[in-house]
Amino acid sequence: MSNNPVEKTENFEPKILVFACNWCTYAGADLAGVSRLQYPPNVRVLRVPCSCRVNPQFVVRAFQRGIDGVLVAGCHPGDCHYTTGNYYTRRRFLLMTRMLEYVGIDSGRFQTRWISGSEGPKFQEVVTEMTEIIRQLGPNQKLRDDVTIEMQDFEEEAVNE
Amino acid sequence: MLEMQQEMRKVAKELLESGEATVVIGWEKGALPYQTSPVLIRSAEETEKLVWDEYCQQNLSNYLIDFVYSDEKVAIFAKGCDTRAFNRLVQDKRIKAEQFTVIGVPCPGMKDRKQAAKGVADVPLAKACQECRYPNPVYANRTLGQPVTPRATAPDYSDVEAIEAMSADEKAKFWQEQYSKCIRCYACRNVCPACNCTNCIFDQSKSGWQSKDINASENQFYGITRAFHVAGRCIECGQCDMVCPSDVPIMLMNKKAKKDLDQLFGQYDAGLETESLIPLGRYDVNDPEEFM
Repeated sequence: MSNNPVEKTENFEPKILVFACNWCTYAGADLAGVSRLQYPPNVRVLRVPCSCRVNPQFVVRAFQRGIDGVLVAGCHPGDCHYTTGNYYTRRRFLLMTRMLEYVGIDSGRFQTRWISGSEGPKFQEVVTEMTEIIRQLGPNQKLRDDVTIEMQDFEEEAVNE
Repeated sequence: MLEMQQEMRKVAKELLESGEATVVIGWEKGALPYQTSPVLIRSAEETEKLVWDEYCQQNLSNYLIDFVYSDEKVAIFAKGCDTRAFNRLVQDKRIKAEQFTVIGVPCPGMKDRKQAAKGVADVPLAKACQECRYPNPVYANRTLGQPVTPRATAPDYSDVEAIEAMSADEKAKFWQEQYSKCIRCYACRNVCPACNCTNCIFDQSKSGWQSKDINASENQFYGITRAFHVAGRCIECGQCDMVCPSDVPIMLMNKKAKKDLDQLFGQYDAGLETESLIPLGRYDVNDPEEFM
């Protein structure tokens, strides 16, 4: 069973994908870096022009391909470089968060946060907190395209019946 | 219903004979009692084919997209949900309302043809029809018959709440089980009046972030994406459930989206008029703030 990608092992390190808006969160992450604030190396930062560039399907895709947590981060509402982008982000992800929970993604695996360019410490705080939550939850098994743990469970149930 | 059928045939005949319409879109009888399918009538003699019975659940408005660039004068029979679909297409700028003649038909509710196919003795109304709040046409150039009373006054989300009450693992299992049945025939997309994009992302073979693989993971990606794309556009006609050959409860996803949108951004029923923007196509600076 050691080759099972979703088995929770003692040295499990979560993989977290961060969609960072170019104008605020990316600058915030940069500030965290130049201020030498320590944050977990589990995050992979992906820079996007605006948080509203993040198609909700990218999030599902990330979970399919083995990411354990997704963070979408952008400017605070009202501060968008493109004036209104993050208002749309907010609407979309208010719905998408609920839809993902509805299909069984554990709450906390997908988060949206507003982190401005001057909030380096907040970036540190958010990714640290998220890494801890996901470390507790263990590897993501839901929606993954390389995992059939759920299906094995079905088969076992069918056999038991 | 027989009276209505007579009237529909008469009206279709008049329209075709006077030249007000060259095509009339309605329903005709299929091979089996529970099969009623859409039909295009082009001559006065053919109007005898038209039927109006308990299985006219098909939404006809989608066929209008095929006539947008045609010179034909199209008349269409439309139930409450068809007219909402019509408004949706107008709102999405897929059709122009003035190009078509809409003949409204108040709908007493259609029976569940999947149940009928199973040989159930007393066939119940289709689920979407049981929950229907708009059986009367919301837009029509002329309406036949008398308005009927809606069968429901408030949306029924008991089935959605039953899923919400499950634990995350149970939900994941439930949906994986449901979507592993999906054969990706895209019938739900093709009948859907909300899914009217000229280029669907699921028709692209090289987009890189969706695939045509048929497995539970990719099928769920399809299901979630489709539910999200029709969120705020879904008119709850239940066509997707009706056509699904694998009995995936597609409306259960769509209703969840509608429930949440209503809760978050205020009650919005798609297709009642053509002026407003759909909930995900607009924003409000005072939207609920959960992300901080």
